[in-house]
Amino acid sequence: MPHHLAWAIFLLPLGSFVIISFIIRPFFTRWPQWAGYTTIASIGIGLIFSVWTLIDVFNNGPLYVPPVDWVVIEGAVTIHLGLLVDQLTAVMLVVVTLVSLMVQVYSQGYMHGDGGYCRYFAFMSLFTASMLGLVLADNLLFLYVFWEGVGLCSYLLIGFWFHKPEAAQAAKKAFIVTRLGDFGFLAAILLIFFQTRNLTGAGTFDILFLHEHATELAKIGFLGASVATWAALGVFSGAVGKSAQFPLHTWLPDAMEGPTPVSALIHAATMVAAGVFLVARLFPLFEASEQAMLAVATIGAFTAIFAASMGLVMNDIKRVLAYSTISQLGYMMLGLGVFGYAAAMFHLFNHAFFKALLFLGAGSANHATGTFDMRQMGGLRKAMPWTFATYLIASISIAGIWPFAGFWSKDEILAHALEHQPALFVLALITVFMTAFYMFRTVFMTFGGEYRGGAGGEHSKPHLHESPAVMVVPMVVLAVLSVGSGWFNFVEGGFPHFLEGAHGEPASFFFTVLAHPWPWVSLLMGIAGILLAYAMYSAKWVTPERMGQLFAPFYKLFSRKYWFDELYEQVFVVRFLVNGLFWINQLFDTYIVDGLVNGVAEGTLVAGRGLRRLQTGQLQLYGFAIAVGVLFIAGAFYLFA
Amino acid sequence: MTIGLEHYLILSAVLFSIGLFGALAKRNAVVVLMCIEIMLNAVNIAMVGFSRFWGLLTGQVFAVFIMTVAAAEAAVGIAIIIAIYRSRQSVDVGEVDLMKW
Amino acid sequence: MNFDLLTPELGLCGTALLVILADLVVERKTVLAGLSVVGLLVAIGLTLWLWGQGPATAFGGMLVMDQFALFFKLILCGAAILVILSSVDYVSKFPRFQGEYYGLILFSAVGMMLMAATRELVSIYISLELASISLYILAGFLKDHRSSEAGLKYLLLGAVASAVLLYGMALVFGFSGTTHLDKIAGMVGSLEGLGANPGLLLGIVLMVAGFGFKIASVPFQMWVPDVYEGAPTPITAYLSVASKAAGFAVILRVFITAFGEPAWLSQNWGMLFAILSALSMTVGNVVALAQGNIKRMLGYSSIAQAGYLMVGLAAVGRGPGDFIGQSSILFFLASYALTNLGAFIAVIAISNKVDSDLIDDYSGMARRAPLLALALAFCLISLTGIPPTAGFVAKIYIFYAGIKQDLLWLVITGVINSVISAYYYLRVVRVMYLGAPAAEEGVPSSGALRTALGLCSLGVLVLGIVPGVLIGVAEAVKFLMP
Repeated sequence: MPHHLAWAIFLLPLGSFVIISFIIRPFFTRWPQWAGYTTIASIGIGLIFSVWTLIDVFNNGPLYVPPVDWVVIEGAVTIHLGLLVDQLTAVMLVVVTLVSLMVQVYSQGYMHGDGGYCRYFAFMSLFTASMLGLVLADNLLFLYVFWEGVGLCSYLLIGFWFHKPEAAQAAKKAFIVTRLGDFGFLAAILLIFFQTRNLTGAGTFDILFLHEHATELAKIGFLGASVATWAALGVFSGAVGKSAQFPLHTWLPDAMEGPTPVSALIHAATMVAAGVFLVARLFPLFEASEQAMLAVATIGAFTAIFAASMGLVMNDIKRVLAYSTISQLGYMMLGLGVFGYAAAMFHLFNHAFFKALLFLGAGSANHATGTFDMRQMGGLRKAMPWTFATYLIASISIAGIWPFAGFWSKDEILAHALEHQPALFVLALITVFMTAFYMFRTVFMTFGGEYRGGAGGEHSKPHLHESPAVMVVPMVVLAVLSVGSGWFNFVEGGFPHFLEGAHGEPASFFFTVLAHPWPWVSLLMGIAGILLAYAMYSAKWVTPERMGQLFAPFYKLFSRKYWFDELYEQVFVVRFLVNGLFWINQLFDTYIVDGLVNGVAEGTLVAGRGLRRLQTGQLQLYGFAIAVGVLFIAGAFYLFA
Repeated sequence: MTIGLEHYLILSAVLFSIGLFGALAKRNAVVVLMCIEIMLNAVNIAMVGFSRFWGLLTGQVFAVFIMTVAAAEAAVGIAIIIAIYRSRQSVDVGEVDLMKW
Repeated sequence: MNFDLLTPELGLCGTALLVILADLVVERKTVLAGLSVVGLLVAIGLTLWLWGQGPATAFGGMLVMDQFALFFKLILCGAAILVILSSVDYVSKFPRFQGEYYGLILFSAVGMMLMAATRELVSIYISLELASISLYILAGFLKDHRSSEAGLKYLLLGAVASAVLLYGMALVFGFSGTTHLDKIAGMVGSLEGLGANPGLLLGIVLMVAGFGFKIASVPFQMWVPDVYEGAPTPITAYLSVASKAAGFAVILRVFITAFGEPAWLSQNWGMLFAILSALSMTVGNVVALAQGNIKRMLGYSSIAQAGYLMVGLAAVGRGPGDFIGQSSILFFLASYALTNLGAFIAVIAISNKVDSDLIDDYSGMARRAPLLALALAFCLISLTGIPPTAGFVAKIYIFYAGIKQDLLWLVITGVINSVISAYYYLRVVRVMYLGAPAAEEGVPSSGALRTALGLCSLGVLVLGIVPGVLIGVAEAVKFLMP
């Protein structure tokens, strides 16, 4: 495959962003639909190229795209701009472009008539481009640039309806919370740069170099641990922020304030996937440090069960899905932490499809009912058969029922966990049960029973209707993938085997999966969860209220999200930051910084006002200045030289 | 006493200084322009003197060019001064200070 | 006589005459602008053709068509095109003499192009005067109070400066007996020390003053704000970019070719430029802080930018034989040309509508003319030197050249100055984006002006993101040493 095509995958959506913002938006306001077409065309072509890339990498191994010199200053710094297209990148390219394409097609219907139609597609293009750049970057510096680009776009898109205060608030929260993690990432990049300088004489941001020399970094001691440990932990803190892992998970549920297709994209293919991708990208660095791997596995497993428990009790369908995303991302982190590199990426791959589908389904239900509150939905099964069918498929898949996609990757992660961290395996197994329960709770509450009126008005029962084809078709496509993406295993040599590349352990558990007893256990856990949901929300053998009373303390704990928001708001922000730090800060600021800064600034301004008086407007004075200048220069020369 | 290069150079320097003084001190724009001409002609004297010293024609050619350019410069200068005179009824360079600071 | 080496200049002279003649018969005056642009494009084409031919000399070594000269010719022609495109609206208000306006721009472009290509004192003087006299007329072209005041100040001070320059040239000629830079170098190279020849030294100092006037270096900068404020805005833009570029071209060629050896001499003028650089940056930036008129502010800003550019000159002098100083100046000039022209073009469009150059009157411009305000903000950001703009790369590059020659103190001065400059550049951005608009009407502009502004903004962005290509060219450009 020509190298230029790999560049094109990234440049096409970027070009689409430029075209929409600088041509369509200012000059063709009467034809906003062209913004949508441009986006779809660019990402569609990108998808074709991505598939081509994947096939090429599959057959011929990693693709080396010759780097372009970006900034070269002789002898000091050379920064290359290059692409790293290995197995991991090739898979991610397909995931990102495919999910993004489906979301863009769906958005044509969902965003129809919105005042910010062009702006929406411009941001979406930029979002996709940033994510593709992040996936393709061959050095940490560029990866970081796109990493921040993804953060910026998510800020813009979550706050898309910026006139809604909640949306503006949520956007800000997403930006600030993820930024906390990014400090660690940036510190890690700098640490790596300076430590590799000791290693080779010139610092590097090159990722492949890191892959090859990770073990050497592990031998250098630094602040009580190895450089590799600190670097890996720093990188991981960035990933924790982006992938909404405990304790930086609070931004993701709030990020629902953006348009639903944006949530689909954020949750499936772009924003949150970036964190998992980053850990996978630098996997050799993590492998070189036991402590870092343990941290990744522990935080992953804990986040998985922690987020799932909150998902049990939410009434807003998008919030349930949000906690489910956090929980599934926890799975992926767990997978990475227990050396299941391929398993985790495989789960990311499968999750992208069914999670995007779930969000599109939720959006479709919202399109008809005008609400996201499941207590006002119900009975949509009859009115919206396509939405129901696709949503059901995605739910089965995420619950991990054989032979749907989710089953394959989830069980592989479990198998790795069992081998390396049995305690975490137990947590993960319980999470399987919880996942199945809350997913089917949403299915029964939304689609089962009788319609409960939606948001009222035009959303009353007689008006219920299936969404337009432009929204249904992407959902069907994603549904097919949700069933089938797990079957990529049976591609020659096995998909995980392909992904392994050089990292992690071989996926030997895979073909024997059903011969092993534990997959049966996890399957039973999943089915048990579905049955419990059926008993409570469809057959009503046990009412949810009764359960709520039985487990009142837990219910309260879960529904208040462990008081985490309060903890952050009240304790951390108000007590600690405002009252404590800010106070000290303020003193320092008022008396020292301000004094100094204001003094200097004032002084400069006064100097400016004074000096300008020399400019009297008298041209002969100007001539005099020339003459005096010459005399001074000549005099200085004679004196000093 | 023989008249040598140094005499020409001294004359040139004196003339240049006189011209510079006039250009910086005189109030009438036309006089300022004339003083600039004196400076240029001081240069011409130096040029011709050096030309003679080296036995070359280059300096003389240079002087001819300077005279030509000076004529063009004076023409433009006078034109601008006339424009100023039309709008202000004065050619005092001290009063041309609309723009300052 | 190989006249083909002069085809770009000859073509431009022909175009200028044609434009003036066409003015007599053509009713639609925009044709004149079109004609001038075509002539300039042809000149660019011819220049590129000459680039392919390789370096050559003409007229007994007086003129030299090397890559250095051709690089500057491209910058100058490009600047002239942008200025002419942005003049269309402005000039349409003139009752008469539109042809002469364009013709004079072309003549001064010819003068500047020759300045970059001469290697001999007489032709340096003549080409410099050709450029200057055209600009004197253009500065006073409006004939109102301010414009003719600008013209008078520019003319009288310019004439004094060229008299000073000539006196310097006379002394240098007197010392060396030749006006050819390469032969002067032969004489200077054998000098033992400064004390050996005070006359030559004075000559060099006087030449620094004469050229310093062109590039607006302190203490020869005082004409700048007044002339910039009073001259027609497109001419101000032209002055700030083309005139400065040509000045740097001459300085580089004269000082490297004639005074590059012996080392003690270049060390000395290198230090001189370093000191002038620090003074220019500081004076330009500090006084710009207190300005309320945007043209005047940009005038002071161009003094400061000349200061940054002279960091490169200092690096050239301190480290002869190291080309990074020279290539950083070339890159800086190209990026500065795009950026400053972009800023001025936006100012032209806005002042056409609001009829004021006061920064306060730009209040809320982002709502009245979003694209215009965006472009202006972008150019100001580039002038400040914030990524991802050309100005950022240019500044890093030129400061790096300074650091390489152990001019750390100068670079620190430059960085502090950049911080100061952010205050007044970004103040305009703040006023445009956060101020309340005085009126609701939009700001109309012609297609020609929008094209010019678009080209500038695009160039600034492209150079900011992929500077590698131009840096490569700037590093490859060398001039023909004898």
